[in-house]
Amino acid sequence: MLKKNSDTISPEFLLFKAGNEKVFDKIFRINYNKVTGFCNQFIFDLDKSKSITQEAFLKLWLNRDKVQTENGIYSFLYTAAKTECLNYLRHKKIEKKYLQKSIEEKEYLLTHDIIKSFNFDEIHFTELEKAIQKAIEELPDRCREVFLKSRSEGKKNREIAEELGIAVKSVETNMTRALKILRKRLAEFLTVLIVLILGF
Amino acid sequence: MNFDIIIKYLNGTSSSEEKQQFFAWIEENPENKNEFLELKKIWALTEKTDEDESTALALFHNSAKKHNNKSLLFKALKQAAIYILLIGIGGILSWFVLSSDKVSENEIYASNYTVTAPQGQMTNVELPDGTLVMLNSRSTISYDNDFSHGKREVTLNGEAFFDVQKDQEHPFIVKSPLLDIKVYGTSFNIEAYPEDNSISATLVDGSISVLNKDGLELTKLVPGEKARYTATDNKLIVSEVNTDMFVSWKKGLITFRNEKLEDIAKKIERWYNVEIVIRNKQLGKELYFGTILKNKPIDQILEVFKLTTSLKYEIVPRANEPTLIYWD
Repeated sequence: MLKKNSDTISPEFLLFKAGNEKVFDKIFRINYNKVTGFCNQFIFDLDKSKSITQEAFLKLWLNRDKVQTENGIYSFLYTAAKTECLNYLRHKKIEKKYLQKSIEEKEYLLTHDIIKSFNFDEIHFTELEKAIQKAIEELPDRCREVFLKSRSEGKKNREIAEELGIAVKSVETNMTRALKILRKRLAEFLTVLIVLILGF
Repeated sequence: MNFDIIIKYLNGTSSSEEKQQFFAWIEENPENKNEFLELKKIWALTEKTDEDESTALALFHNSAKKHNNKSLLFKALKQAAIYILLIGIGGILSWFVLSSDKVSENEIYASNYTVTAPQGQMTNVELPDGTLVMLNSRSTISYDNDFSHGKREVTLNGEAFFDVQKDQEHPFIVKSPLLDIKVYGTSFNIEAYPEDNSISATLVDGSISVLNKDGLELTKLVPGEKARYTATDNKLIVSEVNTDMFVSWKKGLITFRNEKLEDIAKKIERWYNVEIVIRNKQLGKELYFGTILKNKPIDQILEVFKLTTSLKYEIVPRANEPTLIYWD
């Protein structure tokens, strides 16, 4: 009569809160490369990204009693990573003060704006992640193949072209198409987030 | 704009000339910047590095241990400071603190898992045996480590709907302050809020036994029956009921038990994304006892409040902002 869904509090989640290492290790393994990848998209320094991710997991471990739901784990991790990335960027900016108005300054401002605009509030983040997954699944076959090979498997355009037996140009076209479709599908959702942030 | 230049920028493979082009495009107008912002978000959330998780995990355990040792040392120092202070005050007191500290340490090791549904919200819980429980607002369920080893016992405070996994060998027992319920695999609802001084069990499917706190069977229920026990007059009454009504809260019904209207307003603001302004201060303090259906349109909910309290309301729709509602 009752159905299990993504909101159901599982025995594993309660074990996580109780400090079970096995369960924590599983969460670490699943999310480590995702969080590191996220950080590296903004600070472009793999070693630093890795240490920020370590820091985020340590915070999660020490504050596990404050996490209320399974989705709360991911929102906690990404919020911690976001905060650390922003701190790092600010620190970098002070170091590079003399570079005002140069391309690097512009890059800094853009990156800063983007990372700040992320809303990792539990409900929003869960919905955004779900929406992204769904939008990817619904991409036309070739588009999805190219997008996943490039994003999840980290393959170069040339490698993808060889694997699929298509021209490099066609890989590029499909990637462009994939991004355009994804943005269109998710725009409403992503724009809502921006409006919310501006409202604060 | 050539989209390849955006993708190259996302990939981090643009030449300095391409970067110039990219920023010229970004600065052209705010829409371009917004478009890139959205693309970059999708990009960052689908990114994954290819680092070895096991190495990273080993590093993590190392620093977590170090951190633990550090905070243990800090704790020990803090405790030492307390003891020195207490010795100054008197030996007996310090001995008392020492022994009570030991008790709390033991409690940490006796693992007990507790879930509480927050006020105004329902929470779904899966137990280690696969049993599903839906907790009503402000209800708590807890179980011990033993649960996974066949001792299927939970303690309930409040109201919950149970869908118990069938297991003839291991009976499932719900303990509540007044009575216990023994089950073999069934769906039923229990209402046992501590302040009520009574407990109700309603059976939807299967069979359950009602036990007193000594484990003695008082009665067995068949589907469609409800047992209600009141502590004040020590009476157990079994009646036939329409089960739909008793389990209806799990379809989105929320019961408020003497909550202030100003607190209820906060919840409604969250559920419906509206802004409520209570213009009559006294109204905010008025208590409400009753059930509302959360998934209904807001005007219907407000009508219910209008009928059952002294509340009057006015809805002001606004563009680009949450709808404004005045309560008078």
